Amino acid sequence: MGRYVRRRLIQMVPLLFGISLLIFLIIQAAPGGPEAIFLENRLFIDPQVIEAFRQRLGLDQPVPVQYVRWLGAVLSGDFGISFSTGRPVGEMILERLPATLELMSVSFVVAAVVAIPLGVYSAVKQYSLFDFSATTASFLGIAMPVFWFALILQLVFSVNLGWLPTSGRDTIGDGSIFDQLKHLVLPAVVLSIRHIAGWSRYMRSSLLDVIRADFIRTARSKGLRERIVLTRHAVKNALIPVISIMALDLAGLFSGAVIAETIFAWPGIGRLFVQAMFSRDYPLLMGILMMSSFLVVFFNLIADVAYGWLDPRISYR
Amino acid sequence: MIAHIRLALAVLFVAAVAACGPAAPSAQTSPTASSAASASAGPTKGGTLRIGYGAEVDNLNAFTSQFLTDIELTMVEGLIVSNDKNEYIPVLAKQVPTVANGLVKTRADGKLELTWPLQQGVMWHDQVHEFTADDVCFTWKYIVSPGSEVYNRNSYLPISDCRVQDKYTAVMVWDKPSAIYNGLFEAILPKYMLDGKDIVKYDGYNRSPVGTGPYIFTEWKSGEYVRVKRNPNYWRGTQYPYVDEIVFRFIPDINTRLNAVKSGEVDFAQMTPTQVKDVKDLANYNLTLVQQNSWQHFDMSIKTDRGARIFGDKNVRIALFMLIDKKTIVDGVLEGTVQVADTVAPTTSPYYNPNVKKYSYDPTGAKKLLDDAGWKVGGDGIREKNGEKLSLTALLSSADAIGKLYWQVIQQNMKAAGVDIQIDTKDAATRSQIWRSGQWELQISRWVLPADPSVTGLYSCKGSNNMTGLCDAALDEQLIASDQELDPAKRKAFLFKAQELLADDAFSLPIYYNVNPIVTSKKLGNFKASGTNLGSFWNVFEWYLNK
Repeated sequence: MGRYVRRRLIQMVPLLFGISLLIFLIIQAAPGGPEAIFLENRLFIDPQVIEAFRQRLGLDQPVPVQYVRWLGAVLSGDFGISFSTGRPVGEMILERLPATLELMSVSFVVAAVVAIPLGVYSAVKQYSLFDFSATTASFLGIAMPVFWFALILQLVFSVNLGWLPTSGRDTIGDGSIFDQLKHLVLPAVVLSIRHIAGWSRYMRSSLLDVIRADFIRTARSKGLRERIVLTRHAVKNALIPVISIMALDLAGLFSGAVIAETIFAWPGIGRLFVQAMFSRDYPLLMGILMMSSFLVVFFNLIADVAYGWLDPRISYR
Repeated sequence: MIAHIRLALAVLFVAAVAACGPAAPSAQTSPTASSAASASAGPTKGGTLRIGYGAEVDNLNAFTSQFLTDIELTMVEGLIVSNDKNEYIPVLAKQVPTVANGLVKTRADGKLELTWPLQQGVMWHDQVHEFTADDVCFTWKYIVSPGSEVYNRNSYLPISDCRVQDKYTAVMVWDKPSAIYNGLFEAILPKYMLDGKDIVKYDGYNRSPVGTGPYIFTEWKSGEYVRVKRNPNYWRGTQYPYVDEIVFRFIPDINTRLNAVKSGEVDFAQMTPTQVKDVKDLANYNLTLVQQNSWQHFDMSIKTDRGARIFGDKNVRIALFMLIDKKTIVDGVLEGTVQVADTVAPTTSPYYNPNVKKYSYDPTGAKKLLDDAGWKVGGDGIREKNGEKLSLTALLSSADAIGKLYWQVIQQNMKAAGVDIQIDTKDAATRSQIWRSGQWELQISRWVLPADPSVTGLYSCKGSNNMTGLCDAALDEQLIASDQELDPAKRKAFLFKAQELLADDAFSLPIYYNVNPIVTSKKLGNFKASGTNLGSFWNVFEWYLNK
């Protein structure tokens, strides 16, 4: 196992290198440069100012030179300076991480706690009224546009009922845990709905597969109670594929949620990414995308390891 | 309403009025409310003003930020600021130099000398260093340095020298007369803090600016808010400012901003014209439709061969103008929140020329003009000439929600007259790049002007922001002359003529004046919205929140 993990970690280096090159080229290929922000927001622009701006950022250099410069900076542990704010990219990403992790992990846990029992119960009571309702609700959850659902929740719980704040992470000057939790509710609900819908479907179909397997019949014929059969034997095995899917979704914990964060004015990485994209802030974009790429690769490894740990039939050499 | 007076004496007069008390409301107010009404209650001290701001700003340096500098202007002050009547009023300058008050002198060598008398006893926020003429000349030196990245650096370049005559007097030498001199230096940088620093990159200032203004920077939480607190030693008098704290919360989504207003989470927020119906009758808020120094205009580019061939014919341009139904756009798409525009100056400006040529919606006339120009309706209903179809592409930014709506109106009207319009939607940065390159055919876009009415950069042959390729020697003459004329009456004559020529040239059709709908809590007093590029916080020191 240790050797396997080491090998996978080493393989990550050329993979990430290739990814960085690809992302860099794609970003550069998009028309409109960072100087576009001058034209968007300002009135008369002195063209010499745009030249000075391009020169300072090294945009007057050919793309390969820009890439090598970027790579050099990364290898020396520095993700460069954001074009739009002039601040170190690493610092900008790090200061957004706590809010991102807070929101994403809460919605992740909520989703897991709801989705798994939901899927189990649906499978056990297959074709019952509950199962049909859960299936319909799941499809609604998957199909519902996030922005629409988010705004409806705001309208109901903030504007009409006045129970929860519309947006933000805390009330300025309050700072209590209760206040922070109140701010967390709506975005966490919106984000967990999609996971709940997806994961409960996986759980249901996976359990349905397992429940028909021979070893379950054996367990039942041993005279074990149905409850024990379900929890000790069926669910445990049915969880394997679900957990590997959840592990892959873990990468998203760090990259945040673009739409929900924008609507709820949540200071997460998803919103930072949108900002970086619209202002063509290449170093910031590269920083965020490389972080997400690394995490996707990394959590793939975690998923594989978890798989082997849960299922003794699988072994890595 | 916004006035556009630049008379030197008027500036001084208005400064006195502004200091004495509330003037008439600057902008159109909704029938339900007027911010002037609450002013009679008298200023209350204290409170926190919560502002629902849009997208997060890049930095807080008024010279290098690419955003509206209104947050900055609560902390930082300049020699001047523009008020609710589109006038430049002195702030850190005691008065604005003019020929009439003797502070503008022509030297023997033909250069101009402008003397700026400064406020005395003004301290920077550190309460250690005093604001002096040194800071003014330091700011000038930075702006004109090659790497300053100050967007309007070229407006400062004619200043060849800045001299500290004494602690409280700065003298600037201008190589040639420039009418916009009094709209510069909207911020002054603290020399004691920035001397020797690379200002463009210096986070110590750009994320926590130090100024002389009524508010002191407290905190900037990335992605969340910027907080500023009351300056207890403000130079205008310790009674100012009235409000203890201002919080600018960044709420990028316009619908969330609306919900935040409706649930009472913010006291101040900017809306879009299509949201006016949702906010005009809110019980606890006033709505102010701030007329911007900005107009929406329909342009054609002759920078491509095809563009030059088609739009080179003035009758074709006029015909297209006559196919744009401004009234339907204003009443239908913009829901009557804006005014139809026929020229580049706002209607309330003294430079507004009501007698320019107007192009009203006239499909019959347009069809005849196109027929006469040789564009005959083909078999598919689209006009053609020498085998070329009159099928035109309109460039649109994907962020422009209102643009999508009015282009549909125009598309239909044009189609009925045999002109095919293809709408090409691109993301904002891409659109800007195409726009600047001139490789586009039709476009509706906007400019935001300072309080000064100069449009030379937009419409002169060599204008740095002339995107259409319009070049008219007669127009150039008027524009350039107007920029160098220090006598407001004479300048007005030049600008009147320029507006007429611009309308006659038929390259750019003004459609409507942009408005900025701002909702403010009924508790907020003394808010006097301004539609200039310097924003509405110019008199924030006298705002107050009733209990």
